Amino acid sequence: MDLAYYPGCSLYQSAKLYNHQTKLVFAKLGLHLKEIDDWSCCGSTSAGKINDFMAVALPARNLGIAESAGFSEMVIPCAACYSRTKVSQKQLEDFPLLKNEINMELSKKVTGNIKVSSILEVLMREIGSGRGLAAVTNKIKGFEPACYYGCMYTRFPYDVPIADNVENPQGMEKVLEAIGVKALDWNYKTLCCGASSVIYNTESALKLMAKIMQDAVSRGANCLVVTCPMCQMNMDSQQDNYCEKHGIEERLPVLFITELLGMSMGLSREELQADENLVINGMNGTQMCGDSV
Amino acid sequence: MVNEPFEYNAHAADVFTREVMARSGQDITACYQCKRCASGCPVAEDTDMVTPNRLIRMVILGDIENALTNKLTWKCLFCHTCGTRCPVNIKTGRVADTLKKMALDAGIDPQQPEYKNFHRAFFSYSLRWGRINEIGMMGEFQLRNTWDHLKKGNYVAIVSEIIGKSTMAWEMFKQNRLHLSFHSSKGRDEISRLYKKSAGRKWI
Repeated sequence: MDLAYYPGCSLYQSAKLYNHQTKLVFAKLGLHLKEIDDWSCCGSTSAGKINDFMAVALPARNLGIAESAGFSEMVIPCAACYSRTKVSQKQLEDFPLLKNEINMELSKKVTGNIKVSSILEVLMREIGSGRGLAAVTNKIKGFEPACYYGCMYTRFPYDVPIADNVENPQGMEKVLEAIGVKALDWNYKTLCCGASSVIYNTESALKLMAKIMQDAVSRGANCLVVTCPMCQMNMDSQQDNYCEKHGIEERLPVLFITELLGMSMGLSREELQADENLVINGMNGTQMCGDSV
Repeated sequence: MVNEPFEYNAHAADVFTREVMARSGQDITACYQCKRCASGCPVAEDTDMVTPNRLIRMVILGDIENALTNKLTWKCLFCHTCGTRCPVNIKTGRVADTLKKMALDAGIDPQQPEYKNFHRAFFSYSLRWGRINEIGMMGEFQLRNTWDHLKKGNYVAIVSEIIGKSTMAWEMFKQNRLHLSFHSSKGRDEISRLYKKSAGRKWI
Protein backbone atom coordinates (compact mmCIF):
# COMPACT_ATOMS: atom_id res chain seq x y z
CA MET A 1 0.00 0.00 0.00
CA ASP A 2 1.31 3.44 -0.91
CA LEU A 3 1.03 6.23 1.61
CA ALA A 4 1.97 9.86 1.11
CA TYR A 5 4.75 10.83 3.51
CA TYR A 6 5.39 14.29 4.92
CA PRO A 7 8.58 14.15 6.99
CA GLY A 8 8.76 17.80 7.99
CA CYS A 9 11.88 19.85 8.61
CA SER A 10 13.03 18.31 11.89
CA LEU A 11 13.09 14.81 10.41
CA TYR A 12 15.61 16.10 7.90
CA GLN A 13 17.79 17.59 10.60
CA SER A 14 17.81 17.13 14.37
CA ALA A 15 15.56 14.05 14.25
CA LYS A 16 17.07 12.39 11.18
CA LEU A 17 17.10 9.17 13.13
CA TYR A 18 13.30 9.19 13.35
CA ASN A 19 12.99 9.57 9.58
CA HIS A 20 15.38 6.69 9.04
CA GLN A 21 13.63 4.38 11.52
CA THR A 22 10.13 5.26 10.33
CA LYS A 23 11.02 4.29 6.77
CA LEU A 24 12.57 0.99 7.93
CA VAL A 25 9.65 0.03 10.14
CA PHE A 26 7.03 0.93 7.55
CA ALA A 27 8.88 -1.06 4.91
CA LYS A 28 8.78 -4.07 7.24
CA LEU A 29 5.04 -3.59 7.56
CA GLY A 30 4.68 -3.60 3.80
CA LEU A 31 3.67 0.06 3.63
CA HIS A 32 5.47 2.21 1.07
CA LEU A 33 6.04 5.74 2.19
CA LYS A 34 6.24 8.08 -0.80
CA GLU A 35 7.65 11.41 0.23
CA ILE A 36 5.52 14.14 -1.34
CA ASP A 37 7.16 16.27 -3.97
CA ASP A 38 8.74 19.58 -2.93
CA TRP A 39 6.98 19.84 0.41
CA SER A 40 7.46 22.98 2.46
CA CYS A 41 7.52 23.85 6.15
CA CYS A 42 4.16 23.63 7.95
CA GLY A 43 4.93 26.79 9.93
CA SER A 44 4.81 24.87 13.21
CA THR A 45 3.46 26.88 16.13
CA SER A 46 5.52 29.91 15.14
CA ALA A 47 3.45 30.81 12.09
CA GLY A 48 0.30 31.04 14.19
CA LYS A 49 2.02 33.37 16.63
CA ILE A 50 2.63 35.91 13.89
CA ASN A 51 0.30 35.36 10.99
CA ASP A 52 -2.92 33.35 11.31
CA PHE A 53 -3.50 33.25 7.57
CA MET A 54 -0.10 31.70 6.85
CA ALA A 55 -0.62 29.16 9.63
CA VAL A 56 -3.44 27.75 7.47
CA ALA A 57 -1.89 28.44 4.09
CA LEU A 58 1.49 26.75 4.68
CA PRO A 59 0.10 23.27 5.45
CA ALA A 60 -2.53 23.79 2.73
CA ARG A 61 0.21 23.79 0.10
CA ASN A 62 1.43 20.38 1.28
CA LEU A 63 -2.11 19.01 1.38
CA GLY A 64 -2.60 20.16 -2.23
CA ILE A 65 0.60 18.44 -3.35
CA ALA A 66 -0.34 15.15 -1.66
CA GLU A 67 -3.91 15.23 -2.97
CA SER A 68 -2.96 15.97 -6.56
CA ALA A 69 -0.50 13.06 -6.51
CA GLY A 70 -3.53 10.84 -5.94
CA PHE A 71 -2.92 9.65 -2.41
CA SER A 72 -5.76 8.90 -0.04
CA GLU A 73 -3.74 9.07 3.15
CA MET A 74 -0.75 11.11 4.31
CA VAL A 75 1.44 10.00 7.21
CA ILE A 76 3.11 12.69 9.32
CA PRO A 77 5.45 11.41 12.05
CA CYS A 78 6.25 14.83 13.55
CA ALA A 79 3.58 15.76 16.08
CA ALA A 80 3.76 19.50 15.37
CA CYS A 81 3.41 19.03 11.61
CA TYR A 82 0.59 16.56 12.20
CA SER A 83 -1.28 18.97 14.42
CA ARG A 84 -0.83 21.97 12.11
CA THR A 85 -1.80 20.04 8.99
CA LYS A 86 -4.87 18.51 10.59
CA VAL A 87 -6.04 21.86 11.94
CA SER A 88 -5.43 23.56 8.61
CA GLN A 89 -7.41 20.89 6.78
CA LYS A 90 -10.39 21.30 9.10
CA GLN A 91 -10.25 25.09 8.88
CA LEU A 92 -10.21 24.95 5.08
CA GLU A 93 -13.26 22.74 5.23
CA ASP A 94 -15.06 25.07 7.65
CA PHE A 95 -14.19 28.27 5.76
CA PRO A 96 -14.74 27.66 2.02
CA LEU A 97 -13.97 31.28 1.13
CA LEU A 98 -10.59 31.00 2.80
CA LYS A 99 -9.97 27.81 0.84
CA ASN A 100 -10.74 29.59 -2.43
CA GLU A 101 -8.43 32.43 -1.54
CA ILE A 102 -5.57 30.06 -0.75
CA ASN A 103 -6.24 27.88 -3.79
CA MET A 104 -5.92 30.92 -6.07
CA GLU A 105 -2.20 31.04 -5.32
CA LEU A 106 -1.52 27.30 -5.29
CA SER A 107 -0.48 25.39 -8.38
CA LYS A 108 -1.80 22.18 -6.79
CA LYS A 109 -5.21 22.93 -5.34
CA VAL A 110 -6.54 21.64 -2.05
CA THR A 111 -9.84 19.79 -2.09
CA GLY A 112 -9.76 18.31 1.39
CA ASN A 113 -10.20 14.64 0.57
CA ILE A 114 -7.04 13.18 2.04
CA LYS A 115 -6.75 11.53 5.42
CA VAL A 116 -4.02 12.99 7.61
CA SER A 117 -2.60 10.36 9.96
CA SER A 118 0.01 10.38 12.64
CA ILE A 119 2.47 7.52 12.69
CA LEU A 120 0.65 6.10 15.69
CA GLU A 121 -2.71 5.93 13.94
CA VAL A 122 -1.19 3.84 11.16
CA LEU A 123 0.76 1.64 13.56
CA MET A 124 -2.30 1.10 15.71
CA ARG A 125 -4.28 0.07 12.67
CA GLU A 126 -1.62 -2.27 11.32
CA ILE A 127 -0.26 -3.85 14.47
CA GLY A 128 -3.29 -3.55 16.70
CA SER A 129 -5.53 -5.20 14.13
CA GLY A 130 -3.10 -8.10 13.82
CA ARG A 131 -2.14 -7.48 10.19
CA GLY A 132 1.25 -6.09 11.11
CA LEU A 133 2.03 -8.83 13.59
CA ALA A 134 3.44 -10.97 10.79
CA ALA A 135 6.41 -8.61 10.68
CA VAL A 136 7.14 -9.05 14.39
CA THR A 137 9.75 -11.76 14.68
CA ASN A 138 11.74 -11.06 17.82
CA LYS A 139 10.65 -10.96 21.40
CA ILE A 140 12.31 -8.02 23.05
CA LYS A 141 12.91 -8.15 26.77
CA GLY A 142 13.97 -5.83 29.52
CA PHE A 143 12.03 -2.74 28.54
CA GLU A 144 9.73 -1.06 30.99
CA PRO A 145 8.78 2.04 29.09
CA ALA A 146 6.68 5.00 30.10
CA CYS A 147 4.90 6.16 26.96
CA TYR A 148 5.07 9.93 26.67
CA TYR A 149 2.68 11.53 24.18
CA GLY A 150 3.09 15.24 24.82
CA CYS A 151 0.52 17.84 23.79
CA MET A 152 0.13 17.67 20.11
CA TYR A 153 -1.10 14.15 19.54
CA THR A 154 -4.42 14.62 21.33
CA ARG A 155 -4.87 18.33 21.98
CA PHE A 156 -5.49 20.72 19.13
CA PRO A 157 -6.06 24.47 18.91
CA TYR A 158 -9.17 23.82 16.83
CA ASP A 159 -11.98 21.25 16.91
CA VAL A 160 -10.75 18.32 14.85
CA PRO A 161 -11.57 14.62 15.17
CA ILE A 162 -9.13 13.11 17.68
CA ALA A 163 -7.70 9.65 17.16
CA ASP A 164 -7.22 8.65 20.77
CA ASN A 165 -8.37 9.33 24.30
CA VAL A 166 -7.54 12.95 25.07
CA GLU A 167 -6.53 12.61 28.71
CA ASN A 168 -5.26 9.06 28.73
CA PRO A 169 -4.17 8.07 25.21
CA GLN A 170 -3.53 4.37 24.70
CA GLY A 171 -2.06 4.19 21.20
CA MET A 172 1.55 3.51 22.13
CA GLU A 173 0.54 1.14 24.94
CA LYS A 174 -1.52 -0.93 22.52
CA VAL A 175 1.19 -1.03 19.88
CA LEU A 176 3.83 -2.00 22.44
CA GLU A 177 1.58 -4.63 24.00
CA ALA A 178 1.20 -6.23 20.59
CA ILE A 179 4.97 -6.68 20.38
CA GLY A 180 5.13 -8.03 23.93
CA VAL A 181 6.29 -4.95 25.83
CA LYS A 182 4.24 -3.91 28.81
CA ALA A 183 4.19 -0.16 29.23
CA LEU A 184 3.76 1.39 32.65
CA ASP A 185 0.77 3.34 33.80
CA TRP A 186 1.82 6.81 34.88
CA ASN A 187 0.64 10.36 35.42
CA TYR A 188 2.30 12.73 33.02
CA LYS A 189 1.91 11.11 29.63
CA THR A 190 0.29 14.21 28.14
CA LEU A 191 1.94 16.95 30.18
CA CYS A 192 3.60 19.60 28.03
CA CYS A 193 7.41 19.41 27.92
CA GLY A 194 7.68 23.13 27.20
CA ALA A 195 8.52 22.63 23.51
CA SER A 196 10.30 25.63 22.00
CA SER A 197 9.79 27.72 25.14
CA VAL A 198 12.89 26.02 26.51
CA ILE A 199 14.72 28.67 24.49
CA TYR A 200 12.97 31.76 25.80
CA ASN A 201 11.31 30.55 29.01
CA THR A 202 13.88 28.04 30.19
CA GLU A 203 12.97 27.80 33.87
CA SER A 204 9.32 26.90 33.33
CA ALA A 205 10.16 24.39 30.64
CA LEU A 206 12.83 22.63 32.69
CA LYS A 207 10.44 22.39 35.64
CA LEU A 208 7.89 20.60 33.46
CA MET A 209 10.47 18.21 32.04
CA ALA A 210 11.66 17.39 35.56
CA LYS A 211 8.07 16.62 36.59
CA ILE A 212 7.71 14.20 33.71
CA MET A 213 11.03 12.53 34.39
CA GLN A 214 10.45 12.34 38.15
CA ASP A 215 7.17 10.49 37.72
CA ALA A 216 8.55 8.11 35.09
CA VAL A 217 11.52 7.30 37.33
CA SER A 218 9.47 6.81 40.48
CA ARG A 219 7.18 4.37 38.69
CA GLY A 220 10.21 2.30 37.78
CA ALA A 221 10.40 3.03 34.07
CA ASN A 222 13.71 2.30 32.38
CA CYS A 223 13.03 4.32 29.25
CA LEU A 224 10.64 6.88 27.82
CA VAL A 225 9.02 6.14 24.50
CA VAL A 226 7.87 9.06 22.34
CA THR A 227 6.47 9.81 18.90
CA CYS A 228 7.21 13.55 18.84
CA PRO A 229 10.66 14.74 17.71
CA MET A 230 10.35 17.92 19.79
CA CYS A 231 9.58 15.93 22.97
CA GLN A 232 12.48 13.60 22.20
CA MET A 233 14.85 16.51 21.73
CA ASN A 234 13.76 18.28 24.91
CA MET A 235 13.52 15.27 27.20
CA ASP A 236 16.83 13.89 25.97
CA SER A 237 19.13 16.77 25.15
CA GLN A 238 18.12 18.80 28.23
CA GLN A 239 18.22 15.79 30.54
CA ASP A 240 21.38 16.67 32.48
CA ASN A 241 20.12 20.21 32.79
CA TYR A 242 16.73 19.54 34.34
CA CYS A 243 17.78 16.48 36.32
CA GLU A 244 20.61 18.34 38.04
CA LYS A 245 18.44 21.38 38.69
CA HIS A 246 15.64 19.34 40.25
CA GLY A 247 17.67 16.71 42.07
CA ILE A 248 16.98 13.65 39.93
CA GLU A 249 19.77 11.09 40.06
CA GLU A 250 18.58 8.76 37.36
CA ARG A 251 18.92 9.22 33.62
CA LEU A 252 16.60 7.51 31.17
CA PRO A 253 17.01 6.97 27.45
CA VAL A 254 14.27 8.64 25.40
CA LEU A 255 13.47 6.39 22.47
CA PHE A 256 11.31 6.82 19.43
CA ILE A 257 8.63 4.13 19.27
CA THR A 258 10.15 3.08 15.95
CA GLU A 259 13.28 1.93 17.80
CA LEU A 260 11.39 -0.70 19.83
CA LEU A 261 9.26 -1.70 16.86
CA GLY A 262 12.33 -2.02 14.66
CA MET A 263 14.01 -4.28 17.17
CA SER A 264 10.95 -6.49 17.45
CA MET A 265 10.94 -6.76 13.66
CA GLY A 266 14.44 -8.16 13.67
CA LEU A 267 16.34 -5.02 12.70
CA SER A 268 19.74 -4.76 14.34
CA ARG A 269 20.87 -1.78 16.30
CA GLU A 270 23.29 -0.86 13.53
CA GLU A 271 20.53 -0.88 10.95
CA LEU A 272 18.21 1.15 13.15
CA GLN A 273 20.77 3.76 14.05
CA ALA A 274 22.85 3.78 10.86
CA ASP A 275 24.77 7.04 10.54
CA GLU A 276 22.09 8.99 12.32
CA ASN A 277 23.10 7.62 15.70
CA LEU A 278 21.86 10.12 18.25
CA VAL A 279 23.87 10.08 21.41
CA ILE A 280 20.93 9.27 23.61
CA ASN A 281 21.40 9.69 27.35
CA GLY A 282 21.83 6.58 29.44
CA MET A 283 21.97 4.30 26.44
CA ASN A 284 25.68 3.98 25.87
CA GLY A 285 26.52 2.87 29.39
CA THR A 286 23.82 0.26 29.81
CA GLN A 287 23.96 -1.34 26.37
CA MET A 288 20.28 -1.98 26.91
CA CYS A 289 19.51 -2.11 23.25
CA GLY A 290 22.40 -4.37 22.41
CA ASP A 291 21.35 -7.01 24.93
CA SER A 292 17.82 -7.40 23.82
CA VAL A 293 18.32 -7.56 20.07
CA MET B 1 -2.37 38.39 41.36
CA VAL B 2 -2.04 41.82 39.80
CA ASN B 3 -4.58 43.70 41.85
CA GLU B 4 -4.12 47.28 40.76
CA PRO B 5 -7.55 48.84 40.71
CA PHE B 6 -8.71 49.94 37.31
CA GLU B 7 -11.63 51.98 36.19
CA TYR B 8 -14.35 49.91 34.57
CA ASN B 9 -15.51 51.31 31.28
CA ALA B 10 -18.37 49.31 29.78
CA HIS B 11 -17.78 50.50 26.24
CA ALA B 12 -14.03 49.91 26.26
CA ALA B 13 -14.54 46.47 27.81
CA ASP B 14 -17.05 45.59 25.12
CA VAL B 15 -14.78 46.68 22.27
CA PHE B 16 -11.79 44.86 23.73
CA THR B 17 -13.76 41.65 24.37
CA ARG B 18 -15.14 41.64 20.84
CA GLU B 19 -11.70 42.09 19.33
CA VAL B 20 -10.23 39.26 21.43
CA MET B 21 -13.16 37.02 20.48
CA ALA B 22 -12.84 37.76 16.77
CA ARG B 23 -9.09 37.27 16.66
CA SER B 24 -9.03 34.13 18.77
CA GLY B 25 -12.25 32.63 17.43
CA GLN B 26 -13.32 31.80 21.00
CA ASP B 27 -16.66 32.66 22.60
CA ILE B 28 -15.20 33.76 25.92
CA THR B 29 -18.50 35.18 27.18
CA ALA B 30 -19.65 31.58 27.67
CA CYS B 31 -17.12 31.14 30.50
CA TYR B 32 -18.80 30.52 33.87
CA GLN B 33 -15.62 30.33 35.93
CA CYS B 34 -15.72 26.62 36.74
CA LYS B 35 -11.89 26.62 36.93
CA ARG B 36 -11.30 23.27 35.31
CA CYS B 37 -8.76 25.08 33.16
CA ALA B 38 -7.05 26.49 36.25
CA SER B 39 -6.48 23.09 37.83
CA GLY B 40 -4.94 21.68 34.66
CA CYS B 41 -2.71 24.57 33.62
CA PRO B 42 0.94 23.43 33.74
CA VAL B 43 2.33 26.94 34.22
CA ALA B 44 -0.29 28.23 36.68
CA GLU B 45 2.08 27.94 39.64
CA ASP B 46 4.44 30.48 38.07
CA THR B 47 1.92 33.10 37.04
CA ASP B 48 1.18 34.98 40.27
CA MET B 49 -2.25 33.34 40.53
CA VAL B 50 -3.41 34.45 37.10
CA THR B 51 -5.17 31.30 35.93
CA PRO B 52 -6.85 30.83 32.52
CA ASN B 53 -10.33 31.56 33.94
CA ARG B 54 -9.07 34.77 35.54
CA LEU B 55 -7.47 35.78 32.26
CA ILE B 56 -10.85 35.46 30.58
CA ARG B 57 -12.48 37.56 33.31
CA MET B 58 -9.78 40.23 32.88
CA VAL B 59 -10.61 40.48 29.20
CA ILE B 60 -14.36 40.62 29.75
CA LEU B 61 -14.00 43.32 32.41
CA GLY B 62 -11.80 45.32 30.05
CA ASP B 63 -8.72 45.30 32.28
CA ILE B 64 -6.67 45.78 29.16
CA GLU B 65 -3.34 46.60 30.73
CA ASN B 66 -3.29 43.55 32.98
CA ALA B 67 -4.64 41.30 30.23
CA LEU B 68 -1.70 42.23 28.00
CA THR B 69 1.02 42.22 30.63
CA ASN B 70 0.18 39.47 33.14
CA LYS B 71 2.48 36.47 33.46
CA LEU B 72 0.03 33.86 32.17
CA THR B 73 -0.38 35.60 28.83
CA TRP B 74 3.36 35.39 28.31
CA LYS B 75 4.09 32.04 29.96
CA CYS B 76 1.26 30.13 28.29
CA LEU B 77 2.80 27.21 26.41
CA PHE B 78 -0.12 26.73 24.01
CA CYS B 79 -0.49 23.14 25.29
CA HIS B 80 -4.32 23.28 25.16
CA THR B 81 -4.97 21.44 28.39
CA CYS B 82 -7.42 24.22 29.30
CA GLY B 83 -9.16 23.97 25.94
CA THR B 84 -9.74 20.23 26.03
CA ARG B 85 -11.09 20.36 29.59
CA CYS B 86 -13.36 23.37 29.13
CA PRO B 87 -17.03 22.36 29.37
CA VAL B 88 -18.02 25.14 26.97
CA ASN B 89 -15.07 24.53 24.63
CA ILE B 90 -13.18 27.79 25.07
CA LYS B 91 -9.60 27.30 23.93
CA THR B 92 -8.00 29.74 26.33
CA GLY B 93 -4.57 29.00 24.85
CA ARG B 94 -5.74 30.78 21.73
CA VAL B 95 -6.98 33.69 23.85
CA ALA B 96 -3.53 33.99 25.43
CA ASP B 97 -1.94 33.77 22.00
CA THR B 98 -4.23 36.52 20.73
CA LEU B 99 -3.36 38.70 23.71
CA LYS B 100 0.34 38.23 22.95
CA LYS B 101 -0.25 39.38 19.38
CA MET B 102 -2.28 42.37 20.56
CA ALA B 103 0.44 43.29 23.04
CA LEU B 104 3.09 43.15 20.32
CA ASP B 105 0.82 45.23 18.03
CA ALA B 106 0.53 47.77 20.84
CA GLY B 107 4.31 47.95 21.18
CA ILE B 108 4.46 46.21 24.56
CA ASP B 109 7.71 44.31 25.08
CA PRO B 110 7.23 40.58 25.63
CA GLN B 111 8.11 39.32 29.12
CA GLN B 112 10.54 36.86 27.62
CA PRO B 113 12.49 39.11 25.25
CA GLU B 114 13.50 36.16 23.08
CA TYR B 115 9.90 35.08 22.47
CA LYS B 116 9.34 37.54 19.65
CA ASN B 117 12.72 36.95 18.04
CA PHE B 118 12.41 33.19 18.12
CA HIS B 119 9.03 32.99 16.44
CA ARG B 120 9.88 35.74 13.96
CA ALA B 121 13.14 34.02 13.05
CA PHE B 122 11.34 30.70 12.59
CA PHE B 123 8.53 32.19 10.53
CA SER B 124 10.64 34.38 8.29
CA TYR B 125 13.12 31.56 7.72
CA SER B 126 10.32 29.21 6.68
CA LEU B 127 9.03 31.84 4.24
CA ARG B 128 12.46 32.55 2.83
CA TRP B 129 13.63 29.00 2.18
CA GLY B 130 10.40 27.03 2.35
CA ARG B 131 11.94 24.71 4.93
CA ILE B 132 13.72 25.13 8.25
CA ASN B 133 17.43 24.49 8.54
CA GLU B 134 18.04 24.53 12.25
CA ILE B 135 21.50 26.10 12.07
CA GLY B 136 20.33 28.87 9.78
CA MET B 137 17.17 29.51 11.77
CA MET B 138 19.00 29.63 15.09
CA GLY B 139 21.62 31.86 13.48
CA GLU B 140 18.93 34.28 12.41
CA PHE B 141 17.43 34.11 15.90
CA GLN B 142 20.79 34.98 17.42
CA LEU B 143 21.34 37.85 15.00
CA ARG B 144 17.95 39.29 15.92
CA ASN B 145 18.81 39.03 19.64
CA THR B 146 22.22 40.58 19.07
CA TRP B 147 20.68 43.43 17.10
CA ASP B 148 18.24 44.11 19.97
CA HIS B 149 21.10 44.19 22.46
CA LEU B 150 23.13 46.48 20.16
CA LYS B 151 20.25 48.94 19.94
CA LYS B 152 20.18 49.07 23.73
CA GLY B 153 23.99 49.25 23.90
CA ASN B 154 24.00 46.13 26.07
CA TYR B 155 27.38 44.63 25.14
CA VAL B 156 27.54 42.24 28.10
CA ALA B 157 24.34 40.60 26.85
CA ILE B 158 25.89 40.16 23.41
CA VAL B 159 28.84 38.27 24.84
CA SER B 160 26.66 36.02 26.99
CA GLU B 161 24.36 35.52 24.00
CA ILE B 162 27.25 34.29 21.87
CA ILE B 163 28.65 32.08 24.64
CA GLY B 164 25.20 30.67 25.48
CA LYS B 165 24.26 29.86 21.93
CA SER B 166 27.63 28.37 21.03
CA THR B 167 27.49 26.15 24.13
CA MET B 168 24.07 25.00 22.99
CA ALA B 169 25.33 24.37 19.46
CA TRP B 170 28.28 22.39 20.86
CA GLU B 171 25.92 20.28 23.01
CA MET B 172 23.77 19.58 19.95
CA PHE B 173 26.85 18.74 17.92
CA LYS B 174 28.04 16.26 20.55
CA GLN B 175 24.66 14.53 20.40
CA ASN B 176 24.84 14.33 16.62
CA ARG B 177 21.79 16.53 16.27
CA LEU B 178 23.48 19.24 14.28
CA HIS B 179 23.38 18.64 10.57
CA LEU B 180 25.14 20.87 8.11
CA SER B 181 23.10 19.77 5.10
CA PHE B 182 20.94 22.49 3.58
CA HIS B 183 17.44 21.83 2.30
CA SER B 184 14.83 24.14 0.82
CA SER B 185 11.59 24.00 -1.12
CA LYS B 186 11.22 25.11 -4.73
CA GLY B 187 7.67 26.36 -4.31
CA ARG B 188 8.77 29.51 -2.54
CA ASP B 189 7.08 31.81 -5.04
CA GLU B 190 3.73 30.29 -4.07
CA ILE B 191 4.54 30.84 -0.43
CA SER B 192 5.54 34.44 -0.95
CA ARG B 193 2.38 35.13 -2.98
CA LEU B 194 0.34 33.72 -0.11
CA TYR B 195 2.29 35.87 2.30
CA LYS B 196 1.53 39.00 0.30
CA LYS B 197 -2.12 38.07 0.46
CA SER B 198 -1.97 37.87 4.24
CA ALA B 199 -0.89 41.51 4.60
CA GLY B 200 -3.09 43.48 6.96
CA ARG B 201 -5.18 40.49 8.04
CA LYS B 202 -5.71 40.30 11.76
CA TRP B 203 -7.29 36.85 11.67
CA ILE B 204 -7.81 34.09 9.14
